[in-house]
Amino acid sequence: MNDFSKRTTRFASLALALGLLLAVTSLGCAQLKPWEREIHARQDMAWDPNGLEAQRRGHVYFAKEAAMSGGGGGGGGCGCN
Amino acid sequence: MKRRPVLPTRWHPGALSFAFALVFAWHANPAMALDEGEQAPSFTARSLNGTEKVSLSKFKGKVVYLDFWASWCTPCLVSMPLVDELRKEFPDDELQVVAVNVDNDAAKGRAFLQRRPVGFPSASDPGGQIPEKYGITTMPTSFLIDRGGIVRYVHKGFRKADVSDLREKIQALVNEGSVPAKRATGGGRR
Repeated sequence: MNDFSKRTTRFASLALALGLLLAVTSLGCAQLKPWEREIHARQDMAWDPNGLEAQRRGHVYFAKEAAMSGGGGGGGGCGCN
Repeated sequence: MKRRPVLPTRWHPGALSFAFALVFAWHANPAMALDEGEQAPSFTARSLNGTEKVSLSKFKGKVVYLDFWASWCTPCLVSMPLVDELRKEFPDDELQVVAVNVDNDAAKGRAFLQRRPVGFPSASDPGGQIPEKYGITTMPTSFLIDRGGIVRYVHKGFRKADVSDLREKIQALVNEGSVPAKRATGGGRR
């Protein structure tokens, strides 16, 4: 077997091993049915449990950081946006 | 020394693809959502207050509005009183509203109904067998079932503005009378 074949075989074996590892470990994932989402529906599970507060913080952040369009809002960092 | 590969090299991409396909097939587990025109699966379950059984077949001959709800599902809670109001617009022998509560803890569903009582029965299905049968994909989902037990309309989600549309659809089914139109020709789908 030449070097090229050896490398190819090694690569393929590694890929197979990784694939199988992924296959086996991903079995730990579970898909929730719509009626099983009680815990996910809790307010403290939301990205922003308080939408208004998150918006206010975002606004202050963009104004202070002179950042533009970070959260979808425009502005030049003059503090007036 | 020559070392034999574990598998012929050309097998590996195929084996990998097969492994991935197997895993995805396993995980995809597509819910077979019940479609309009199909027979509504029958069910019997204990009512939420635990005193009686709720059975879909009991209401055959009436137009049935079947609603899946849970105490943690905000639009469901919006829908309950509105559906109750809608129910009152139709005679009791024409329209029956049946709810299925899917709370793991039935007490939470009961607590909501104590705060906001409604005039229709709620079955309790903490195991989720009934929504599984109906293949619901979102909460809330409601099904309009005609007098012959055929699903005629599937309503996903709920907003206050949906009431007028639901009213029209219920009215249309009520107007069909005791023999649903187009049944013999395999109709029923819209």
